[in-house]
Amino acid sequence: MSPKQAWPDRCYGALLRVLPFDFRLEFGSDMEEAFHMQRVEVAREDGFPALLRMWSTTIADIVTMAPAEHVSVLHQDVRYAFRMMRRNRGYTAAAVLILAAAIGVNTSIFSAVHSVLLKPLPYVNGDDLVVMRQSRPGIADVHFSVQELRDYRARTRSLAGLAEYHSMSFTLFGPQEARRVQAGVVSAEFFDLFGIQPMLGRTLRVEDDRPNAEPVMILSYEFWRDHQGSDPAIVGRSLRMNDKAHKVVGVLPPIPQYPDENDIYLPTSACPFRSNPRTVENREARMVSVFGRVKEGIALDQLRTDLAAILDAMRRENPQAYRGDGLHATASPLRSELTSGARPTLIALLGAAGFVLLIACANVANLTLARVSAREPELVIRTAMGAGSGRLLRQLLTESLLLALLASAIGLLMAAGSVRLLARFAAQLTPRAREITLDAPVLGFAILCACATTIVFGSVAALHSRRNLAAGVKEGARSNPGRRRWLRSSLIAAQVAFSYVLLIGAGLMVRSFLQINRMDGGFQPQHVLTVGFAPNWLRFNTEHLQHELSERVLSQVKQVPGVLSAAVSNGFPLDPRMSDYQRRIVAEGGGSNELPVVTQAIRAVSPDYFGTLGIPLLVGREFEDSDTPSSPYVVILNRELARRIWGDANAVGRRISIGEIWLTVVGVVGDTRDFGLTRGPTNEVYLCNAQHPMPTSVLVRTTEDAATMTEKLRQAVLAADSENAVTQVNSLEQVRSDSVAAPRTTTRLFSLFAGLAFLIALAGIGSMLALWVKQRTREIGIRVAMGAGPAQIVGSVMRQSMHWVLIGLFAGWIGSLVLTRFLQPVLFQVKPTDSATYIAVSALLLVAAIGASYVPAVRATQIDPQISLRWE
Amino acid sequence: MPETQAPLTPAMFNVLLALSDGDKHGYAVLKEVSEQTSGEVQLSTGTLYGIIKRLLADGLIVEVRERPPLEDDDQRRRYYHLTDPGREVALGEAERLQKLVERARMKQLVRAFKPA
Repeated sequence: MSPKQAWPDRCYGALLRVLPFDFRLEFGSDMEEAFHMQRVEVAREDGFPALLRMWSTTIADIVTMAPAEHVSVLHQDVRYAFRMMRRNRGYTAAAVLILAAAIGVNTSIFSAVHSVLLKPLPYVNGDDLVVMRQSRPGIADVHFSVQELRDYRARTRSLAGLAEYHSMSFTLFGPQEARRVQAGVVSAEFFDLFGIQPMLGRTLRVEDDRPNAEPVMILSYEFWRDHQGSDPAIVGRSLRMNDKAHKVVGVLPPIPQYPDENDIYLPTSACPFRSNPRTVENREARMVSVFGRVKEGIALDQLRTDLAAILDAMRRENPQAYRGDGLHATASPLRSELTSGARPTLIALLGAAGFVLLIACANVANLTLARVSAREPELVIRTAMGAGSGRLLRQLLTESLLLALLASAIGLLMAAGSVRLLARFAAQLTPRAREITLDAPVLGFAILCACATTIVFGSVAALHSRRNLAAGVKEGARSNPGRRRWLRSSLIAAQVAFSYVLLIGAGLMVRSFLQINRMDGGFQPQHVLTVGFAPNWLRFNTEHLQHELSERVLSQVKQVPGVLSAAVSNGFPLDPRMSDYQRRIVAEGGGSNELPVVTQAIRAVSPDYFGTLGIPLLVGREFEDSDTPSSPYVVILNRELARRIWGDANAVGRRISIGEIWLTVVGVVGDTRDFGLTRGPTNEVYLCNAQHPMPTSVLVRTTEDAATMTEKLRQAVLAADSENAVTQVNSLEQVRSDSVAAPRTTTRLFSLFAGLAFLIALAGIGSMLALWVKQRTREIGIRVAMGAGPAQIVGSVMRQSMHWVLIGLFAGWIGSLVLTRFLQPVLFQVKPTDSATYIAVSALLLVAAIGASYVPAVRATQIDPQISLRWE
Repeated sequence: MPETQAPLTPAMFNVLLALSDGDKHGYAVLKEVSEQTSGEVQLSTGTLYGIIKRLLADGLIVEVRERPPLEDDDQRRRYYHLTDPGREVALGEAERLQKLVERARMKQLVRAFKPA
């Protein structure tokens, strides 16, 4: 543009910039000249108002035509790109598949990250909800007693409301077999606190929560759908649970339920344990969880200070209930409580998936560079004919974007296919897993992936070729291949580096999982089956009846062919239903022998329990048939707890008290890890089932496999009493395997990503060398003609790739040292710098890279000098 | 013949008409259209070059290399020439309009427009 232009012409020139570059290139200066003439003439002949009219028409016309012009250029580019993609089917298929796999894994993982970590909780002002917690050193959650809840409710100045919650299982009696249902036992304000409106009927009212109120229940959407046939007239009907008919007053909408997935909800007055006056009056009977809603404008720290002050006041007023207990009250946002278990794993997986995408981008950039170099003569000619390098750049980017969008569409399909599997996996980590869906933000993420990959791989190739084209046109010759080779080789190094980091991550996860799997749980799970059941406690409401039921169940089960031994108990190692206890244990001697409260598993077991599970007896004896309700109370401890109480002294014959009962230790057995293989040995108190019966499980050692025994064992338990609700029949090996399902799936996903990255990187090395050999056919031919042997040819070809592979390995090694520390939270007994993993991965990648290079290198030795000299 | 045979817009027809008696550059076309229509049709530069682009793509006009003597020329100007297909299309449009007017006349609609 001329520097002498008048300002209106300069304004017009600026206005033209809204039109596509090509349009401006073709007509811009012509338009400027025409506008100048028109403007001068209108001003001269028609005056200022006409000039204003001309300006407004001009501006309006250009602004309205601009979008159509852009679409028209895009349309041309897209048609051209499709033509090019059809012409290069091999390249298109390879690029789309590689990118689709990468975008697919990223979209899948992002759908989980988005639903679990990013989306707000599906409750009214969910970010104001908090979980309150009382803890002791070594015990994260000791729950709240009813007395404490009352005090917090009455005295808090930071919370707008509090609601209590605990979950229990009850037996529902219907026309067919008795059914065990999981019930959320909640205070009346629970649903209002969360802002949940019922789908049918109503939620709870304060009067439902009063003693002697009419028994009512609320059904979850899933229970109503699956077990009540989605009956729209269910409200007002009664279902028999325990000894009473409970009136259904409402059905919840299909919302995620926190903190547990329950079948039904009951007011606290319906729970016999919670409403028992002894529980209500005992400040130390802590059994409920508490949720709160923070008042507007109150910070979390203020709330914590408030809670600590209330606890201090309670401690002052009730010194006996809080003697030397180190109790601490705090609160944390519900959202972080629900997701903290999943956060490290999901972030690690998202990072891994991101690396797969980077490798895919580097690989496709390399493929694109190879293809652009093949098309360079054509592009140089088009540039020389005035196509404009900007236009070519745009065309190359359009092609890349189309590839990426196509890959995104396939990737989205892959993600849609895997979302259920992913939700099942995430359910092992967080209750929010059921919220995982492919929604608009996930779709947006897939498109963002496509755009990001286009920018990364498309612009590398496009910018590079633009530079080469400019040089090519100027020199009239093939452009700088050295620079391109350097770029391609560094892309190979990047792929090696990224896959190294991923393989290290996967290697560490595998090592960690092997460590977990190798952990000795302290029992022999092979050939042991577990049967969970729930008796009708209202009929079996005395210890005598419960013991009788235990005997009946045992007798029936022992008659099943293939049963070697059997025992009843209230749980077994790694039983997911089993809760821990924080009871105060007092050793004989009193006073100084009172131990700090520790978490224990309290089990009531029949005589064959240890033999059936293969838990070794270390000292003393097991329970025997002579241990009866009328004989002295006996107890067996595990080694961990016995050592904690009496050190190395012999525990047998000594006495402990739990609550008000004194028990004589008759034996010490080996340690088991009841609450997870990665956790330390549990403190175990084994009571004798004959003296303290709690029959809810049968354990069976058998010669048969689980499949053949399941139905027989179920029938045997039902034969003992037809109102027994059988909850599950499982092999103990399966229980053990389920307990490590989360790390196993994480390891598998990591390995899948690393394997994918590894294959993409190897394919990249192979294809780069194959192209290098092709471009050097003539040179290799001359060397062969001059007498170079196969070993020299192979050596020279492999040198091309191997030093870049080594650079990639080094970069990957540095990257791994930096990045794998973020894996620390998901690793078990493996350091992020585990040297064995680093050595194994380095060797694996090196050998694989040599293998990938070897094929094109050998092909180079087969070049016929006569043919190669005629090449080009 | 051009591929697209969509009816011409009045603005396009005016541009073809302006070029029918000789090659012209963009501003000359603008000016002629305005003069020939007594100022009723005032094309903006944007509309004009949008039309020129389409007519070029359809082969109804072409750019000509021959330029007027240097003193009458501006190097930024491009001159356009009506091609034979362009002339045919313009002719076809003129005939179509003529037939329409004849029909309007037969229906005595045109006379009704005339001032009393």
